[in-house]
Amino acid sequence: MPNFSIQTLTDAQLKEAARRAGLALRVDELRRIAHRLDRDPTLVEVHAFDAQWSEHCSYKSSRHLLKALPITGPTVMQGPAEDAGILHLGEFNGDRYGVVIAHESHNHPSQVVPFEGAATGVGGIVRDVLCMGAQLIAIADPLRFGRVEDPSSHQRYVGIGVVDGISAYGNAIGVPNIAGDVYFDEQFDENCLVNVIAIGLVKEPEIIHSAAPPNSAGWDIVLVGKATDTSGFGGAAFSSVTLDKEDKDANKGAVQVPDPFLKNVIMRATYRVFEYLRERKITAGFKDLGAGGIMGCSAELCSSGGFGAIIDLDDVNTALPNMPAPVIAIGETQERLCWVLPPDATAAVLQIYNEEFSLPQIAKGACAAVIGVVQKDLRYVLRCREEIVMDVPIEFLTGSIRDDPAFQPRPAAARPDPASSYMTCDAPVVDLLARVLAHRDVCSRKPMYKQYDTAVRGTTVIGRGESDAGVIAPIPGSTLGVALAVAGNPRYGQLDPRLSGEHAVCEAVRKVAAVGARPLGLTDCLNFGNPQKSDQYAELVAAIDGLATAARELAIPFVSGNVSLYNESKGGKAIPASPIVACVGALEDVGQAQSGEFRVGSCSLFRIGLPTNAFGGSVLAGVLGVDGGPPPAVDYDAELATLAALRQALATGSVRAVRAIGNGGLLATLAQMCFPSLDSEPVGLELQDLGLESFFSESGGFAVQVEDARALADVVNHFSFVRQIGRTTSEPGLTIEGLDKVDLHRLNEAWSMPLAEVFG
Amino acid sequence: MSARVAVVIFPGTNSEEETLRLAQDVGIKAELVHWSRAATLPAYDAYILPGGFAYEDRIRAGAIPAHDPIMDSVIDGAQRGKLILGICNGAQILLEAGLVPGTGAVRVPTAAFTRNGPIPKFICERVNVRLSIDPGRCAITAALTKDALVPAWAAHGEGRLAASPQHLQELQIGNHIAFVYVNGAPNGSALDAAALTNIAGNVLAIMPHPERDGWGYNHLRENGSNHVLEASGGAVLFKSFAKALLA
Repeated sequence: MPNFSIQTLTDAQLKEAARRAGLALRVDELRRIAHRLDRDPTLVEVHAFDAQWSEHCSYKSSRHLLKALPITGPTVMQGPAEDAGILHLGEFNGDRYGVVIAHESHNHPSQVVPFEGAATGVGGIVRDVLCMGAQLIAIADPLRFGRVEDPSSHQRYVGIGVVDGISAYGNAIGVPNIAGDVYFDEQFDENCLVNVIAIGLVKEPEIIHSAAPPNSAGWDIVLVGKATDTSGFGGAAFSSVTLDKEDKDANKGAVQVPDPFLKNVIMRATYRVFEYLRERKITAGFKDLGAGGIMGCSAELCSSGGFGAIIDLDDVNTALPNMPAPVIAIGETQERLCWVLPPDATAAVLQIYNEEFSLPQIAKGACAAVIGVVQKDLRYVLRCREEIVMDVPIEFLTGSIRDDPAFQPRPAAARPDPASSYMTCDAPVVDLLARVLAHRDVCSRKPMYKQYDTAVRGTTVIGRGESDAGVIAPIPGSTLGVALAVAGNPRYGQLDPRLSGEHAVCEAVRKVAAVGARPLGLTDCLNFGNPQKSDQYAELVAAIDGLATAARELAIPFVSGNVSLYNESKGGKAIPASPIVACVGALEDVGQAQSGEFRVGSCSLFRIGLPTNAFGGSVLAGVLGVDGGPPPAVDYDAELATLAALRQALATGSVRAVRAIGNGGLLATLAQMCFPSLDSEPVGLELQDLGLESFFSESGGFAVQVEDARALADVVNHFSFVRQIGRTTSEPGLTIEGLDKVDLHRLNEAWSMPLAEVFG
Repeated sequence: MSARVAVVIFPGTNSEEETLRLAQDVGIKAELVHWSRAATLPAYDAYILPGGFAYEDRIRAGAIPAHDPIMDSVIDGAQRGKLILGICNGAQILLEAGLVPGTGAVRVPTAAFTRNGPIPKFICERVNVRLSIDPGRCAITAALTKDALVPAWAAHGEGRLAASPQHLQELQIGNHIAFVYVNGAPNGSALDAAALTNIAGNVLAIMPHPERDGWGYNHLRENGSNHVLEASGGAVLFKSFAKALLA
């Protein structure tokens, strides 16, 4: 195995050599490797460090910042230490159930090859949850696209390809897609965001950890899945460099190839392995192969158990003969997982994968095979064709490295002055409503999500588009429900990254509360620009601070997350700060899940929460082409009181429908609650004239339909910000006090059309 | 002894768990039969082919599994009058195997569920289907009321019934179209067809999934908060199937 020369080269020569070899490692990092090894690294070793020390694997510029996030609390069964976190859902039949959650991004691959990028994003997150010993119960996908209006644009190609990819993969493996959101903005033209969240269900004693178990020296390391091929080489490094349009074809080799059919079978075979291990009370280690391939996965598995490993690359099932050792070791071929098993269980597990589930017949070269052994000696050793091609201290490879880029703290946006009026407009309210409903941040997402299977598994209570959060009943025979919602408004990210983190948490929590669920915990994916650039790094620092503040104030912990940096255009412009948050909630009785749609006519309407005069980042400001003043501030006392008022309202049993007041404000939210009824028994709206701020501000709060207004008397008395705003009727149409009645069908059309033209 | 029903798992099937669960919840003695145990299939009295993407929907949904040796037992059973219910991908397989409408030779389809139209994409939405034959025309629907409505989820990329004009006429004359979509087919299906039965009426191929709307919690809109765990809604078709097994 040839070495990669470091010691004899000057800094300039070394920088050039690294560039030519396609390494993302910096000169100082290369020198550090040579210094510790006391020799030049082999080619395998230098590529291994390139993957492990990439931002993607090492979180080197964010790990120390993430320590600010609250990660403990009574709902936490496992915090952010492994591939996924676990939240306590409840008890059923004497078993303690946890919801496993993981959140990832596949931004860079999706920009280059959208279908494969998005599909492998789903595939990867599903493995992260599976490897905790869990059964997959739902997925969600927050998306951020550029301008998709132009049919010939790359952005249109990206948008359509991503939706197709999510649809093709998620549908085939049979996991319902129950939540998600999408924003369109020109600043995502050259760098889309494709986040994906997966949740699973596990009984507490059956959790499997991503670590070699205690006393596992001498145990087998078993690789399961697709034959290792040449796809996905350099993936970790690829996702940690800025996209260069001209390098697109060169980058394509780094993109992985999805195989949902094989994954469907591997998932089911793995459930069978879980059953086998449970029956025999065997503790094993299990981890999915992601960044860094076989090397990254097996090194982290063994290292986190306090062991080393020897892997024989000749025992890896490869798609082609004589593949180069670095590609076998580090390439990121999809659909692979890695077990650490006691030798007396290995044969049975191999039998399940290879014979009962016939992996070799499902996909060419797919199988489960022993590729190495756990070692007491704390070194990570790779053999290939009778030669040692890698031999390094394992903790040096997997241990935390840290970058502390210098930065100037980013100033916060101005806080709104309550005495000011930031929004004036003489246009008729109804005309504004039509324009708000057709706005890209508000219009119907159905043309996209109807391509996702939201009902497979037969557990769906509230599917995509039916409310602010999806709800499932994942445990057969139990009324326990799980709610899932996502949030992260890039308009706030643009104006004030710290505030955008705060709003993302509050919005995700409100959405889960709207369906009647108790928020259990959060995940985040931090999508930001280049940490080497001080202004872009400052945005990351500020947003994490915002997330931490909101989570602390609302007392809801983060249990897992992901960081995706270097999201910038070739011109060096970063995307808007995009901390994207997912919130999981629990329902004791799914029968109490609240509708997000009006299904009955004559009821009263209430608003919970106060409007704001701050219109910065709002849809109305976008529609009118004005700045709208500062973005809304977050007042945690008010936020907590709003949530408490909603809980109290729900407890009356008189509430018939709820939504969090979302993009576009109260009026747009109420209109969307009406639209589903238009096809059958139309529900109409009669509203007081509340004024521009009340109708269009996006300050949070809830719109609530109540069968008997008297039932809410106590809530109204107790909370000054709860007020009746009108009623729903069996007479179709929208009437605002003092104005002519408006046809809701016309508004529905304005809302439904924009994305139908793009996504069909 | 009550009839034993096999819920057959092909490589790529994805709806086996909920299909099994609903069958059991309405009192059917059902079990999963994995493709590795296909040799045990002849011993079962009836078969349910659940949804999914068997063999990756290669060529056309259902085309490859229809030729899998696993189907030999199902085809043989159909010819002996065993009850067979195919849902979504299971329905596609039954058409490709020529069991439904059963007017041609085995494994020579005369009709197929093909790529959705006019927009050739996967769709997932709640639908209602209406029984469009005399209930007794098909053994599996015999316990339903005339014009019964069954709520279900349409979730497929290839659900558009297509056949030659002559074969479509044959489907109508022979009363093969068992269910039609209320409010029109969401997938461009000929004659708004959502389900077909065979000549003898012992085989039913239905595209939308009644089992995904099979419990109270799947349709809180109708039920309020009562009986969320009870089989209801789309379960009506499974209940009728259960009755047919006793006959």
